[in-house]
Amino acid sequence: MTAAEGTKERWIQGIQSLEEINARISAPILDPAHTWRWWAALAISGSLTLLMIVAVTWLFAHGIGVFGNNTTIVWGFPIANYVWWLGIGHAGTLISALLLLTRQKWRGSLNRFAEAMTLFAASMAGLFPIFHLGRPYYLYWITPYPNVQGLWPQWRSALVWDLWAVGTYITFSALFWYVGLVPDLAMLRERARSLWARRLYGAFALGWRGSARHWEIHERFYRYMAALAVPLVVSVHSIVSLDFAASLEPGWADTIYPPYFVIGALYSGFAMVVVLAAALRWGCSFEPFITHRHFDAIARVLLTASIVMGISYATEWLWAWYGGERPERHLVAFLFTGPYAPLYYGQLLFNVVVPQAFWSPRVRTNIAAVVVISILINVGMWLERILIVWSTLSRDYLPSAWRIFLPTFWDWALLFGSLGAFMFLFLLFVRILPAMPAHELRKLWIEENGS
Amino acid sequence: MPSLKPQSDLDRRVALKLLATAMAATMARCSRPEEEIVPYAKMPEGLVAGEPMRFATTLALSGYGRGFVGISIDGRPIKIEGNPKHPFSLGATDIFAEAEVMSLYDPDRSTAIRHDEAIATWDAFSADWGQATRAQNGHGLALVTNRVVSPTTLARIAAFKNRYPSMRWYRYEPVHDDAARAGARLAFGRVVTSLPRWSEADVVLSLGADPLGHGPDELRMARAYASRRVLGAKRQRIHAAEAVWTLTGAAADFRIPTTPAVIVEIARAVANACGANLGSPQIPEDAEHFVERASRELMAARGKALVLAGESQPAEVHAICHWINAQLGAPVDHLPSQDAVENDHAFELVALADDLHAHRFRSVIVADANPVYDAPDSLHLADGIASVPFSAHIGLYCDETAMACHWHLPLSHALESWGDSRALDGTASIVQPLIQTLYPTRTRDEYLAWLVGEDVAKAYDLVRKTWQSNVPGDFEANWRKALNDGVIANTAATPLALSLKRPADLPRAATPRGMSLAMSPDPSVWDGRFANNAWLQECSEPFTKQVWGNAIRIAPGDAERLGIADEDTVDVEIDGKTITAPAISMPGQADGVIGLHWGQGRLRAGRIGTGVGARVCGIGAHPLARLLDGAVLRKSARSVPFRSTQAHTRLEGRAEDIFQIATLNELGHANAGTGRRPPSLLPVPPKGDYAWAMVVDTDACIGCNACVVACQAENNVPVVGPEEISQGRDMHWLRVDAYTRPHGYIERRGFQPVPCMHCEYAPCEPVCPVEASVHDHEGLNVQVYNRCIGTRFCEANCPYKVRRFNWFDYSGDQAYAGEGEALKAQHNPDVSARGRGVMEKCNYCLQRISRARKAAEKENRKIAEGEMITACQAACPTRAIHFGDLNRTDSDVSNLRKAPQHYVLLEELNTRPRTTYLKRVFNSDDQG
Amino acid sequence: MAQLFRPGANSIAVAVIVALFAAPVAAVALTYALWDSPYATDQNLTRAQPVPFSHAHHVGDLGLDCRMCHTGVEQAASAGIPSTHICMTCHSKIWTNARMLAPVRASYASGKPLHWQRVNRVPDYVFFDHSIHVAKGIGCSVCHGPVQKMALMRQAQPLTMGWCLECHRHPQKYIRPQDDVFDMYWRTPFDQPEQGARLVRQYLIHTDHLTDCSICHR
Repeated sequence: MTAAEGTKERWIQGIQSLEEINARISAPILDPAHTWRWWAALAISGSLTLLMIVAVTWLFAHGIGVFGNNTTIVWGFPIANYVWWLGIGHAGTLISALLLLTRQKWRGSLNRFAEAMTLFAASMAGLFPIFHLGRPYYLYWITPYPNVQGLWPQWRSALVWDLWAVGTYITFSALFWYVGLVPDLAMLRERARSLWARRLYGAFALGWRGSARHWEIHERFYRYMAALAVPLVVSVHSIVSLDFAASLEPGWADTIYPPYFVIGALYSGFAMVVVLAAALRWGCSFEPFITHRHFDAIARVLLTASIVMGISYATEWLWAWYGGERPERHLVAFLFTGPYAPLYYGQLLFNVVVPQAFWSPRVRTNIAAVVVISILINVGMWLERILIVWSTLSRDYLPSAWRIFLPTFWDWALLFGSLGAFMFLFLLFVRILPAMPAHELRKLWIEENGS
Repeated sequence: MPSLKPQSDLDRRVALKLLATAMAATMARCSRPEEEIVPYAKMPEGLVAGEPMRFATTLALSGYGRGFVGISIDGRPIKIEGNPKHPFSLGATDIFAEAEVMSLYDPDRSTAIRHDEAIATWDAFSADWGQATRAQNGHGLALVTNRVVSPTTLARIAAFKNRYPSMRWYRYEPVHDDAARAGARLAFGRVVTSLPRWSEADVVLSLGADPLGHGPDELRMARAYASRRVLGAKRQRIHAAEAVWTLTGAAADFRIPTTPAVIVEIARAVANACGANLGSPQIPEDAEHFVERASRELMAARGKALVLAGESQPAEVHAICHWINAQLGAPVDHLPSQDAVENDHAFELVALADDLHAHRFRSVIVADANPVYDAPDSLHLADGIASVPFSAHIGLYCDETAMACHWHLPLSHALESWGDSRALDGTASIVQPLIQTLYPTRTRDEYLAWLVGEDVAKAYDLVRKTWQSNVPGDFEANWRKALNDGVIANTAATPLALSLKRPADLPRAATPRGMSLAMSPDPSVWDGRFANNAWLQECSEPFTKQVWGNAIRIAPGDAERLGIADEDTVDVEIDGKTITAPAISMPGQADGVIGLHWGQGRLRAGRIGTGVGARVCGIGAHPLARLLDGAVLRKSARSVPFRSTQAHTRLEGRAEDIFQIATLNELGHANAGTGRRPPSLLPVPPKGDYAWAMVVDTDACIGCNACVVACQAENNVPVVGPEEISQGRDMHWLRVDAYTRPHGYIERRGFQPVPCMHCEYAPCEPVCPVEASVHDHEGLNVQVYNRCIGTRFCEANCPYKVRRFNWFDYSGDQAYAGEGEALKAQHNPDVSARGRGVMEKCNYCLQRISRARKAAEKENRKIAEGEMITACQAACPTRAIHFGDLNRTDSDVSNLRKAPQHYVLLEELNTRPRTTYLKRVFNSDDQG
Repeated sequence: MAQLFRPGANSIAVAVIVALFAAPVAAVALTYALWDSPYATDQNLTRAQPVPFSHAHHVGDLGLDCRMCHTGVEQAASAGIPSTHICMTCHSKIWTNARMLAPVRASYASGKPLHWQRVNRVPDYVFFDHSIHVAKGIGCSVCHGPVQKMALMRQAQPLTMGWCLECHRHPQKYIRPQDDVFDMYWRTPFDQPEQGARLVRQYLIHTDHLTDCSICHR
């Protein structure tokens, strides 16, 4: 019956004119209201960013021994954070590309800031493999470049594929995002007051005049990019999953990993979109554009994803049992009974059980509830990432090598630091660029309100 | 708009940054500091820069010398290896010998004469000494040493006695043999050294003895033991009754945990079986089967049967064992004891204490001994020595005794000294220096000579003088031969023909009050003299795998009864004295017995050893005791960390894959591995002239750790220190996994040395993004340190977890206790020192392979079988490690791979390791 | 209202966009060029020595054999810099008072060694062994160049890994008969392809193994 209501309701509410749309969207940039919220948020995230800078300095000064890793569990937080952030980085481009191709009307209100989220999250993700390295200053050795040793990277290594996957993804997402921005930059060029602001926006608007020809080219180009984006998004986390799947370790060497990782990525990504959407709605008074229906729609996606996640977990248990290999079976038993068990139960609770609340329409349309659940989902997904790394390495083939991972202060510092940095970048974004695609919303408003 | 650019292409930014770094690096290379070459002004004769030179020398353990070969490069001693010509090395080493190079360069060594802590001058000392000894011709002069068997030192002491007729010489050895001595007196009326000819025995019964454990006789015994384990040889059957685990117990076919009291009864039962009449033995029924079988087999194997009693057994048991051996015609040689002093060790220590407290002395000289640490607090030796007007300590370190003395004189390390020594059987050998003294130090002999007024006596002359007098024939020729061989020909004593007394009655052991405390020297730092040696501190205890400390080992039953969990910190209280240490429960240890190692808990060892572990020898009234009772165990208020390199010794139901066991009759119809060769997607590994492979015989391995330390010395493997160990980090390229397998109602324990497997289909190789982990044409899976960027993917994907990562700059700026600099001199110049952030691992001693290959190629031939020997293989006293070329069908390893007990670790993963194993073999499935 | 941009803006925009792609490529190319240049490899660099020892004189004019001073070259990894005593075997008889040789005499008298400046240098993690190269027919001049013409010693080759590999991949191009190893005037014969291949077989050199990392790094 929600669907029935859905058709009656509109995606944009309480907007009287096209001009009002432009005004509301450029407001946070040109004449911001209640800036104290913004400054407060900036202060918090800024200090966390500072913490991250300190942590990284400490790390590079003392070596990665400052982390909790040990001889057996050689991977730790950085890898988990990398996978987690990259997962979050998936929703943006996918939402905007997939929903564009499937002509989903509710895309308009989300794609701009979701794509921004993608870029910032992917950037965070991109940093962690560097922090993780024993000799980060030689990172460039995994790129093919002419050198006097006559050496190449080792192409069979999933880590080399990662570099290309992530690199391509970030570059492409940036372009896709920028192309979408161009008409709005032009709008800001017109609305901005100071000459320099207009010059800047103007420069990046690449002389957009909004002629019919411009619109025609833009539309087509944008669609082609969207068509390219979808497979790209799917490929990225599939490749990342090979860091684990292309190994010999119990619990890692699973063919289910690529799809399982991609869904997980969407899952955490959408959850993060919910959080940011709520923040924007509250912070920039975008109530007309981000309505209950949007949260409702995302909640449905989350619900579906949570079920798929549940199935993937179950599949792992089944295969461990059915495959009959002692290490595999022991690993599953270890997850449920070992020292990490509380974390594992947390993961199952947050990722599979809690989201089932979305079956109820009242929860789906209650923004507070959706936000809380989404936050839990993100926690759950992080737990999943860290447990993928920990549990397998803690219990692989030789009992003599079994150990447990104990995180240090610096492990946590980098995790929360990166969260802060992410927030920081996002806050800057909402004050500098239009967080909503004005031109698309104008189109949508016209569709919904006839004239 | 500043914020747009960074986000939109941050990755490219990073890339650019790194390129910038690269360019910066390039600039740096241009302006690199100029490097100097400093050749010799005068090249020493026979030296080739960078080429190893080998010198035979002698290193003592508990006073008895074992002959080894020191390797030095460019005049720096870097490694100790066995001397095949020496009967107590037979080409092998133990951890103590291997670690001596570390001690040599120890920055904490004493380097100056000290008077009451402050650095003093030689003249000041001689003045003081002159004053102290003027008038009194040695009246009230005491000399304290450990066991002395060195002819030269004995000559010096004799000279000392000549000069000061009424001086008194006290000698004691912390790891003593008082029980054996007393037993011998009871049996033969005199002290003898009894050396079993182990290899000749078909059946052995060990009553708490540990012939395979560390000690001056270990290497000889271990080799003999192994000689009866090789395929085809008639296998020995070893029965062991012991309270706490010993290496011998782990090697035994049949072992029961029993209290020391029961062991006495077992001796009684066996003696009766041999025809003695010592009253009816009181054997608990869980031991009856064991005793019955042991006696039966001993009887059946007359002439080839052997019974051994441990130091923790009373003298009477030793006497009985002598008698039983006589009845059985056991292969044992009784030799005159090399120990010059008639009195027992504990007796001497007590006498010293009494005389000190009776103020009999005006001056005391402690030569290379540490009585203040060794003696129980109840003797108050420190106060005693302090009360003497003139006291001097001669030693390698400013240790506890040095603190009690007014004077301290720095001693030269054995590798810097001329000297001589004798082995247990009297075989004499020369102590030859490999290097000039690093500091202004003198040898013990030089000091003793100086103290009797022979001012400029040099150790070299002293030693030659000793032997000039008692070597017949052309001295110079013999001298050269002795230096070259590392043994002095026909100096071994001849066995005595002794008349044996009929066994006196064997008194029943009093039932112990409270729990009893079984004490033995620490398997890593011995009696404490190696406490400041970081290699040994980080060399794990064979069973608990503990490092950097000693644990209170209790039986699971007691643990349960007292509600003590593993790693709980507990107090052992005995006569009001308390020892606090982490507890660990040992399946297969006798109920009511607490196991403890002494040698830790040093108060003044140095930066490494001070305050590590708990001091055990301080307790009790009777010094140097091996067994005390009346101990009370309780949870402690303090908390002491238990640091180990292996958390899980149980096989968690993976036995058949990992630590495989077979019985003799199983071997009959076993086949070498499964021989399965499932297909693999990985490229076929390259083939070359050689296909190096290693086979480790877990049946021969006794878990002595010699290979671990040898590897560490050979390959510049750094020490990480206690904190890192607690973090779960260790650096040993070769680890010895200890496993325990419940077998019916008994425990079976075994050891499995695990170096890199050098898989033909190595999981570490395809995952490395920079090709730092690669295969070479000789089948080695090599790690290119200078190419490694530290992703650690290789270790993550290694099923054997044999790779080691430099989390910090362990061998440089961040070395433990700042020893990085000091140890540079010890480093093997043929092996890179690995920097921070780099993965490393066993490479089959690549540097040795390369040396052997070059030697062969220069002569246009191939490396001969047995020409290439890895460091671990060279060290192994039981020859458990075999190494060679699989391309030769006749090579040792090729044959062993066909052996019925051959198996591959985790074969089902199809990694095709080049390192494979031989199963641990038991004579039968019989339990207990 | 006023125009935001002048007409030139368009071309600037185009330029920027092009640069965005061109810059990284250019940077890499430049780095590599630098890296491989003598500027970075120290090729042809001569260093000031305590005694201006002239190989040109000793080898070129007097025709001394390398092994006379570099005694370790046939047995050891390092060819060995001669000890002062080796210098003095001759210079105790000739040029006994030459001012140029004062440091040598001083070192001889005091027993304090001379401090030479290293010219040919490979990183610590490269385990180069002179003896095996000499034994397998790689002449001194292959790496050290025309020493007999060098008044002051200089690094004749780049000594980069790529340069090492070139020979390890194709030893037949550089190998020569063992008798000619120390011949400074040896010229590659016209039949080097055949002779080289023959010598490689004769000296039992296995090219595949020569390119293993473990040959030089451990």
